[in-house]
Amino acid sequence: MNSHLADAAAGEGPREAAPAARIGTAGTLLMLVRRELWEHRALWIAPLVVAALMVCGAVVAGLKYHLTHGDMSGDDRPGGMAMFAVMQGAASTPLSVVSLIVVAFYLLDCLYAERKDRSILFWKSLPVSDDKTVLSKLLVALLVVPLGVFALGLLLSLLFTGIWEVNAAFGRVPPIPGWDMLGWLKAEIALLACLIVGVLWYAPYAAYLLLVSAWARRTPFLWATLPPVIAQIVEHFTFDTHYVRDLLVYRTYGIWPTLFGHMQVGRGRAFALGAALDRLNLGAALTDLNLWLGLAVAAAMVFGAIRLRRYRDDT
Amino acid sequence: MTAVIEARGLAKAYGATRALDGASFSVEAGRIVGLIGPNGAGKTTALKAILGLTPFRGELTVLGLDPRTQRDSLMREVCFMADVAVLPRWLRVSQALDFVGGVHVRFDRARAADFLRRTDIRMESRVRELSKGMVTQLHLALILAIDARLLVLDEPTLGLDLLYRRRFYDTLLNDYFDKERTILLTTHQVEEVENLFTDVIFINHGRIALSSSVEELGGRYQQLNVAAEAAPRARALKPFYEREVFGRVAMLFEGRSAAELRGFGELRTPSIADLFVAKMQGTPST
Repeated sequence: MNSHLADAAAGEGPREAAPAARIGTAGTLLMLVRRELWEHRALWIAPLVVAALMVCGAVVAGLKYHLTHGDMSGDDRPGGMAMFAVMQGAASTPLSVVSLIVVAFYLLDCLYAERKDRSILFWKSLPVSDDKTVLSKLLVALLVVPLGVFALGLLLSLLFTGIWEVNAAFGRVPPIPGWDMLGWLKAEIALLACLIVGVLWYAPYAAYLLLVSAWARRTPFLWATLPPVIAQIVEHFTFDTHYVRDLLVYRTYGIWPTLFGHMQVGRGRAFALGAALDRLNLGAALTDLNLWLGLAVAAAMVFGAIRLRRYRDDT
Repeated sequence: MTAVIEARGLAKAYGATRALDGASFSVEAGRIVGLIGPNGAGKTTALKAILGLTPFRGELTVLGLDPRTQRDSLMREVCFMADVAVLPRWLRVSQALDFVGGVHVRFDRARAADFLRRTDIRMESRVRELSKGMVTQLHLALILAIDARLLVLDEPTLGLDLLYRRRFYDTLLNDYFDKERTILLTTHQVEEVENLFTDVIFINHGRIALSSSVEELGGRYQQLNVAAEAAPRARALKPFYEREVFGRVAMLFEGRSAAELRGFGELRTPSIADLFVAKMQGTPST
């Protein structure tokens, strides 16, 4: 009986044209990601503001301080241009911290706010499936923002290098040793690898926040933070153990010793991190069982968030 | 006839409250159907079931699809507008057009932009800067530009002034509706839109109290206005509702012929609003 209607509809002009056009999954996802950036402007404004402040700081520091006696050479110099990657890493740290905070609040808010202001009824009136919608939010948190921060960190390190070179030209700081393209590229790839491992390792946290956002009727922030805290307290007083705390600590730091092997990051020489980038144990990190277990748990939680958005009715 | 919506025994409970209690109805293609009921009668729940927004029991097909399992395909053919407040407040008008155009193949952006040009809405405005009436106009612009087979409207003009309401329904009728489209509409302001409907469905306590085309109503229901002294004789014909107005009694009959009733007083077809009140209240004890 339905084909009846379709036949009738096909007879009319504008309706003939419509089914010919198609919007693919990629096109829809791209539109959904743009939508997220429209709504949650803090995702890109906050890192940009921090970057702008850091450039201002570098310019002012270059004018105020002289570092003529610093020594840029030495036996422990990292291979080639890894020091630029280190600079980039340093530049990216404030950006990453700010982005982490913004992304965490974004994930907690994105599936909650649309229910609170009932705009979910508008989004759901359009032919966009719940899996695509939830996936787009995860994409923003785990791909778009991290890559954006990486690119911004890269841009910043180049700017800092430029500022350093200008100051060096005026004799305020020692000149930078020669540019080694291959070493620099290698260091960039190593940084990117760290980023990928980090994203994969922290995916369960992101999925957890999404799930709470889809589930909480109010105060998603409390629902996200209180259960882990209370679980630790209860465990402490009933069993006098601390498995929950250990798990959380492990899920927060666990992969980095694996990735950096037995190297002592942050200790010893200034360029230790630069040296570490040369010797990442990427294979060990990517074959870590706990990394994949975490991803499986993340997938389950994302699935839960999708189901909740699909079947929940509280508007 | 082709049924766009076919519902049998729809049931849904929120806790102890039965929002839908075995509701069965069907909606044919090319009709404008008013789903009318008092607050809490199950109107919105029925619409949510049709749109696959809520789980329910019973059988339901919409455009041949099951809204529970085939919602994603269904929404390509169905348009939906809840009451005015659901457009996100941060959204810009231009972004609304970009987004709908980006996800909906059947969206004609030029048409929406053309409609908006005839209003005071500017492309760069955000929804939060628009008045309630303008937000509805924006939503209407989006809907008019989507070539959908079924349009579901839930109290679309709630809280709007008369001018906006009138313009809303005029646009809907003149610029949108054609014989291949179906509109399902709930509203409180029955008097205002009763000329719009081709069909009405009365719903009360989660059940269908009446489902009929408007043409058929005229044959089935009669309103008789009689003088108070003639009322007892007319009452013998068993009106299902009566109401006293300025010393005259208005009685509603079901299934009586005009010939039977003409002798008692002035005879006319009851308005949908009167019929609704009568069906919902039954005979008031006077």
